[in-house]
Amino acid sequence: MSRYFIRLAFVLMTAAVFGQGEKTEKDTITRKYAYGLRVGADLSRIVLSSLNDNYTGLELVGDFRLSEKWWLAVELGNEERTQEETLEESLLYEYTASGSYIKLGGDYNTYTNWFGMRNQIHIGGRYAFSTFSQDLANFRFFDSNRFFSPNDFILGSDELQEFDGLNASWLEFVIGMKAEIFRNIYVGITARLGHLVSNKESDNFKNLWIPGFNKVTEGAKWGVGYNYTLSYFLPLFKKVKKQKPEEQQSNEE
Amino acid sequence: MVLMKRLFPVLLIFMVIVHFSSCEKDDICVEGDTPLLVIGFYDVTDTTFKSVSNLRIRALDLDSDSILGLEGSEEFGFTDRANSPDSITVPLRIAGTSTEFAFISGSADDDDGNETGNTDILTFNYVVNEQFISRACGFVANFNELDTVRQVSPEDWIKGITILDTTITNSNQIHVQIFH
Repeated sequence: MSRYFIRLAFVLMTAAVFGQGEKTEKDTITRKYAYGLRVGADLSRIVLSSLNDNYTGLELVGDFRLSEKWWLAVELGNEERTQEETLEESLLYEYTASGSYIKLGGDYNTYTNWFGMRNQIHIGGRYAFSTFSQDLANFRFFDSNRFFSPNDFILGSDELQEFDGLNASWLEFVIGMKAEIFRNIYVGITARLGHLVSNKESDNFKNLWIPGFNKVTEGAKWGVGYNYTLSYFLPLFKKVKKQKPEEQQSNEE
Repeated sequence: MVLMKRLFPVLLIFMVIVHFSSCEKDDICVEGDTPLLVIGFYDVTDTTFKSVSNLRIRALDLDSDSILGLEGSEEFGFTDRANSPDSITVPLRIAGTSTEFAFISGSADDDDGNETGNTDILTFNYVVNEQFISRACGFVANFNELDTVRQVSPEDWIKGITILDTTITNSNQIHVQIFH
């Protein structure tokens, strides 16, 4: 049990670990690297869905080891979010954005593990594409001159207007870490900075929130996101890193 | 490892930024507004700007017979019962397709409190369209197909009206010319 706590401690005290990680491999030990498929889900989206009435979302994550340092990574998700915009406690409009997205790219592991450990601190990139719709539930006319309606904004429409066939694509910079807490079970955290490449909007309503990208900022193309994942590593095969004929010791990393 | 030592603070800062920026709200509406109708006053003979003496404007409600005075309103660009500037603004009703105004020239009260000025009734008809401005502002109204209707009589102080702009999307220039 104590080794699990040690592994958990890695997650919590990564900073403290760095100072001690100066060991380099001067030895000629043969190292075997496990290759395989890691699949999981974002816990934050699941938790937010259960806590927040205005949000439903699920994100599945997967990656596949390509080489010693490189992983092919993918995220698939579906999100729905309802938002009200108010001004001085008067409702301006209410809309729901919903749709699906895919993010495809790679992660590069920058972390040199201690012997026997399989953790990652990685940077990477994604190309992401989202297809979605925005449903406008109602709106009121913003009017700073309140001569005819001193108490409230005038209702424009409370009939549902659907803006569908919308899509957006963006590039994402990803930074994160993954720690093996139990054998083949990983927890991970990533932070993401996205930059819109394309954004197909309706003429009458702007894209204010894009599934997978999050909030679209006025006059800027940047978006931020994160996830906290729990995933399972399915080992498929092993590759040997270094081999010297005189030493047949084999170790796994 | 040297790389990681450098990268770790960056990672931390990055994550902090991500968390805080997802909470912040950009809700100051500065990008747009529902426009006011801009009316210019001109001399009927030489078509140069001409002030209206002691101008008073009241908005009439066709349904409830109520009268709203645009009195002493700085926001409409004139002072009640004072000589008017070259141009003024009036609001249009968004809930509806017309707004009726009484334009009173030489406005004053007699001893019994009755209006002695020359009152001309002017009705503006239009179509209201919504325009999405921004996240913070939402939708504003635009007025299209502007038209004006009035009962013409020889006593009118208004001699002619020209609509310069039938589409009202901002309050930057004169939409309607009144000749007197």
